[in-house]
Amino acid sequence: MAAAAVQGGRSGGSGGCSGAGGASNCGTGSGRSGLLDKIDDKPVKIDKWDGSAVKNSLDDSAKKVLLEKYKYVENFGLIDGRLTICTISCFFAIVALIWDYMHPFPESKPVLALCVISYFVMMGILTIYTSYKEKSIFLVAHRKDPTGMDPDDIWQLSSSLKRFDDKYTLKLTFISGRTKQQREAEFTKSIAKFFDHSGTLVMDAYEPEISRLHDSLAIERKIK
Amino acid sequence: MLSLDFLDDVRRMNKRQLYYQVLNFGMIVSSALMIWKGLMVITGSESPIVVVLSMEPAFHRGDLLFLTNRVEDPIRVGEIVVFRIEGREIPIVHRVLKIHEKQNGHIKFLTKGDNNAVDDRGLYKQGQHWLEKKDVVGRARGFVPYIGIVTILMNDYPKFKYAVLFLLGLFVLVHRE
Repeated sequence: MAAAAVQGGRSGGSGGCSGAGGASNCGTGSGRSGLLDKIDDKPVKIDKWDGSAVKNSLDDSAKKVLLEKYKYVENFGLIDGRLTICTISCFFAIVALIWDYMHPFPESKPVLALCVISYFVMMGILTIYTSYKEKSIFLVAHRKDPTGMDPDDIWQLSSSLKRFDDKYTLKLTFISGRTKQQREAEFTKSIAKFFDHSGTLVMDAYEPEISRLHDSLAIERKIK
Repeated sequence: MLSLDFLDDVRRMNKRQLYYQVLNFGMIVSSALMIWKGLMVITGSESPIVVVLSMEPAFHRGDLLFLTNRVEDPIRVGEIVVFRIEGREIPIVHRVLKIHEKQNGHIKFLTKGDNNAVDDRGLYKQGQHWLEKKDVVGRARGFVPYIGIVTILMNDYPKFKYAVLFLLGLFVLVHRE
């Protein structure tokens, strides 16, 4: 126990072991314990020919790096917005279903018409929301100001991977809380650099890229 | 082996992503439902698409009929109507043979299937000799051949229907977009 704690303290700089007692595999393991420990510590293995699975795993790992290594706090605002719109649409559908069941067809016509139109309007709103507001951003994280006086800095991650293409683009945007200025950095690399031939994501190759992006934006800030 | 691999994805999801998967499934079901209800409202008929069982040679078993039921359109002899007999669930698709019409627009009509030798009086309820507007589900406006065979199959073999729906649902719930 004590040995593990000391080891954890010494390797704190390389961003890994968070002192979870029994975990022998201290790669980029998360701090959660219990049943979830096993799935989070296991290296991510996906079908390397499935484009969406590749993109999802790269996105998730980038998220993990930013949240765990730099200890930023995730902001769920964008995602919650999308979930709300979807929930409202399903709600309209359920209302239509129940109303039609209770008042058989001809009487329920006006209510049905209203629900159907509302549903498709919500679908339209959802499409506009995902295309313009969310774009391809999958992470919005805040860096809480240590002094507590200035507003938070915001880091945004967005990525793209074209169908049947192997070039993955990851863009990191930094919005300063104080000056409201926006700076971004991105890299485009082939996914072959991050996955081995069995489809396992190699964090040792991926994490330095993320850190490099992050540091390039952070350093500019310091110089200013 | 295989089953555990795809479940890995699900286990890695956090609460919001899980909720989104469920919502995804709900939205697909809702879209289908809304399109069906929308069709009901537009055509005015409570069952705008029916599967024809037999009316050779005009329609064959498994054709899909598209119906409307506008109150303004009068029913005329020779038209193909879909009607439901009181007490029976299955709608019948036959042609109108005779119509009696009163001054106030109230009509009684008699139907016969193209492929039958006699009119439908034998099918009607005991004591009923004519059909009225209220029995009509809709009038045929167009059709798509053969597509309805899937529906007939699913009704004849309900286990097949549940299996297909279950697999589809599972796939949508587990697969991340």
